[in-house]
Amino acid sequence: MQDRITGYANGIFELARAEGELERVESELFTVAQALDDSPELRSTLTDPQLPLEKKQALIDDLIGGRASSLSVDLVQLIVSQGRASELPDIARAVVEAAAASRNKAVAEVRSAVPLDEETIERLAVALGRATGKSVEVKVVVDESVIGGIVARVGDIVIDGSLARRVDSLRQAVEG
Amino acid sequence: MQFLIATILYAEHEESGSNVSLVLPERAELIAGILAFAIVFFFVWKWALPTLNQTLETRQQAVSGQLADAEKAKVEAESLLSDYQAQLADAKSEGNRILEDARATAEQMKTDLLSKAKGEADHIRSKARDDASAEKSRALSDARTQVGDISVDLAGKIVGEVLDPEAHQALIERYLADLESL
Repeated sequence: MQDRITGYANGIFELARAEGELERVESELFTVAQALDDSPELRSTLTDPQLPLEKKQALIDDLIGGRASSLSVDLVQLIVSQGRASELPDIARAVVEAAAASRNKAVAEVRSAVPLDEETIERLAVALGRATGKSVEVKVVVDESVIGGIVARVGDIVIDGSLARRVDSLRQAVEG
Repeated sequence: MQFLIATILYAEHEESGSNVSLVLPERAELIAGILAFAIVFFFVWKWALPTLNQTLETRQQAVSGQLADAEKAKVEAESLLSDYQAQLADAKSEGNRILEDARATAEQMKTDLLSKAKGEADHIRSKARDDASAEKSRALSDARTQVGDISVDLAGKIVGEVLDPEAHQALIERYLADLESL
């Protein structure tokens, strides 16, 4: 499956770069991936084998048709029409990583309960780059399950400073 | 005997010359009668008597044989009776032995069944006790886990709800400070 995800990601990356829309496409795909991660109903609808493809495509048009580029919409339609909607988040992340790698950077996926301002994002990029020894691009995901604080993931490295982790620690202590 | 009486009467007749001659036969007739009697006696003595004796002896032998057979049959019957009584005694003894064995077997089975039932009852009781104990422990553990989860979830929600933008920013600043100090 990983080969297929990499294949899709490389194809999308090359196509978006050839069209000169790499940055926009990777950002929009990342947003779609976050929407799928955050909405089990949307994910199950797009992966439902009983639902006709036309209805899935209409749903995608409703969701991102007017807001994303036509290339991003077409790429999402392509992935869904191939029955790979469940792999869309992984494909999007692979595209983002491939794009960052083309700029000699790594992707830092930062989760926060509240949106972050540009200054904070830049400080995070610098601090995470120093901590991981890599030049990083920060992708912010607003995730209420974090409760408070930040969780950053760069490749396999996870730096968790969230209240959710502290709550989990408390839960383990209570259960222990 | 009659012959002798007749002879004596005749002799006396001869001597007395009385009227006895009216009753007695003539001399020639008497001699002829004596001779006829002797001849008849001779034939009877010579042939009829042995035949009769033989018949009687045969008859006696037959009766003796029958008596011997009867005696033999009686002995055999007594022997058979004795054997029958012995077999009856053996059968009775065997019957008693079988009955005793059956009684002992039944008693043993009863003891075994009681022992087995008691063992099973003990096992069931022990298992029920263990199950109850395990169930109690599991229920306590589940209750502890659920109470912990609920409490922690509640605490998380309360913390999330009471966090204002300044508190969020403070947490982010602390994260950045920790990160920058690495």
